[in-house]
Amino acid sequence: MSHERFDDLAPVYALGALDGDEAVEFERHLAGGCERCQAVLDDAHEAFATLARSGERVAPPPHVREALMERVGAASRQRLPIERRRSWLRWAGATAACVVAASALTAAYVAARYEARLGVMARETARLREGLLAHEHALEQQLAATRAVVDLLRDPATRVVALRGAGPSPQATGRVVWHPSAGGEVFVANLPAPPADRTYELWTIAGGAPKPAGLLALDATGRGTARLEPTGGPVDVFAVTLEPAGGTSAPTGPIVLASAK
Amino acid sequence: MKTLGGELIRRMAAGDREAFGRFYDRYAPLVHPLVLRIVRDPTDAADVLQEVFWAAWQAATTYDEDRGTPEAWIIMRARSRAIDRVRANRRRGETFVAPVEDAAGPGEAGGADPATRAADRAVVRAGLERLPDAQREVIELAYYEGLTQTEIAERVKQPLGTVKTRIRLGLERLREVLKQAT
Ligand SMILES: [Zn+2]
Repeated sequence: MSHERFDDLAPVYALGALDGDEAVEFERHLAGGCERCQAVLDDAHEAFATLARSGERVAPPPHVREALMERVGAASRQRLPIERRRSWLRWAGATAACVVAASALTAAYVAARYEARLGVMARETARLREGLLAHEHALEQQLAATRAVVDLLRDPATRVVALRGAGPSPQATGRVVWHPSAGGEVFVANLPAPPADRTYELWTIAGGAPKPAGLLALDATGRGTARLEPTGGPVDVFAVTLEPAGGTSAPTGPIVLASAK
Repeated sequence: MKTLGGELIRRMAAGDREAFGRFYDRYAPLVHPLVLRIVRDPTDAADVLQEVFWAAWQAATTYDEDRGTPEAWIIMRARSRAIDRVRANRRRGETFVAPVEDAAGPGEAGGADPATRAADRAVVRAGLERLPDAQREVIELAYYEGLTQTEIAERVKQPLGTVKTRIRLGLERLREVLKQAT
């Protein structure tokens, strides 16, 4: 996409007036670290501040200052001495000379705080970006699954099979959209997260013989979607069992979801 | 660029309470009329003002002088908190928000601090007066009333694209004003 579009959005965003999809779009672009837009925003904040600068100065009521100084004093008594000591120790450990002028100590202290803050911000940014990517990926998967289902449902040979919770997870529910020669999609909800060394595995059962049909991953809300490949023959029952991580070739664990025969 | 305000924020980041007091004395008279103009109610304004400076004390380590002046930093923080308050009040429907013409403008409240660059302000004001009404209107609806572009488009009965253009042109004009004032 050309950058021109973001050039148009940046002034509106700087004014806090961007809304709807455009706000989401611009924030996503900005989260990608666009320096050009960041520079426009910094510049715009400076320019919009002109509006406030043009007004008369009016002293606020004195109780605000008193309350603030009290708050800052209380916070300093609780917090600062410890932080100062810690950062002094860190700083002292990192240098050979421990006797320094007070101003150098202050500078090192400030630098340490800036560095710590920078580290936190970098981690936060990375985490947010990862979260966004994961979210986007999940949405893309859901979209692909939905498209596949819409295509399948146009075919009269497709059937929709309900899955019922069983054994350890009676509250679980699910649906399989199934076409004998095209395969299908399975959707489940309300499944508890599997234990760390376990996974959910799908099965197609025909003539009493279960065939592995892939693993089923869940999102944080207990929902999951998976593609089922065609088996080359009829399927009597669809089932989900709890298996050792990595899955097995024949079911060993309890059935957590199954269709009625 | 090193400024006194920047130096005060650096000292605040190091936990210097005296610097915080001086920072407050320097910028509160600038920020208070802005907050008052946005939230209208003096009690709410005092409340928001305290939140703004408390948050500034806590966020002092994140201030980056290369990215903006201390004035723009504190003004931006104050404005967004004040707008948040107005929007929250609006959602609760508790506060009647008077039209902007009825609110006391910063000029009428009295008690001006004569020490802060009255001459600069005159230049800025003269520049703002040259801003075309249509551009000034959309920018003020966003800046002081917290309306979004869609709400502004409805209010001024213009297409969204026109609102965007007016904001962009108004911003360009403001940047020129700023250049002349400094
Ligand atoms: Zn950009």
